[in-house]
Amino acid sequence: MKRLSVVVAGTGQIRDIEIQTGTTAGDVLNQLALKDYLLSKGPNDPFFAAAESVYDKVKDGEKIFASTKAEVGEPALCG
Amino acid sequence: MRIKDLGNRPAPASILELFSRVVRGRGPSIQVQRRQVPYWQERRWTLNGNRYTGTYQTRYGAFAGDIAQHGANDIEFFLYMPSDEIRRHSHWVCFQHRGNDWYLVHMGRCPKDVSSGILTIERLITEAFES
Repeated sequence: MKRLSVVVAGTGQIRDIEIQTGTTAGDVLNQLALKDYLLSKGPNDPFFAAAESVYDKVKDGEKIFASTKAEVGEPALCG
Repeated sequence: MRIKDLGNRPAPASILELFSRVVRGRGPSIQVQRRQVPYWQERRWTLNGNRYTGTYQTRYGAFAGDIAQHGANDIEFFLYMPSDEIRRHSHWVCFQHRGNDWYLVHMGRCPKDVSSGILTIERLITEAFES
C-alpha cells in the first residue's frame, strides 16, 4: 500500500488516496472521477499512460498532479 | 573510610530537561493544514483582470510568460523570448510571433484551465532542452 496526494492543478484541491500494487493511472483518475485529466509527477516528467502502473513509479507519500489534457499543436490543426 | 560526602549540587539543566520530558511525555501533535492552491498560484503567477503574468518554471530555467483568459475555454498562452532550444523543437511551428519577442503558443488541444496549460508548456520547454 502507498499513500498519494493527487493535486488537481486547476483548483489546487488535494485528494488523498491509497493505492495497491498494479494500480494504473486510469484507475486513479476513474476513482477520483477526473475525466479528461492526465496524471504526472510534475512538469519535468511525462504524463502517465492510462494503463501504466502508478504504484511502481511513485514513492509513499508523494504528491502528483492531475491536469486537463492539453497539447501544443500546429495552427492548421487547431479550431 | 575511602568515600567522603561532599554534599548536594543541582543537576545540569540539560539533564533536568531530559528527565522532565520523560515524565511529561509527548505533547499533543499539531495538525498543519496544507495549502490547497491552484498550480498557477503555487508557481507564483499573478492575476490582474483576465491576464496572468509569471514564469514557466523548469529545471533548465524560468521563462517569462503571459496568459490571457478570454473565457472558460478560451485561453491564450504567451512566451517571451523563447530560447534556441525551444526554437529547435519540433513544435516551434506552433509558436506565432506577436511582436516585441512575445510568442503565442498555439494549442492543438486547449487545456480547460490555466494551470494545466502552464504545466503543458513547462513540459514542452523541458522536452526542448532534453531532445
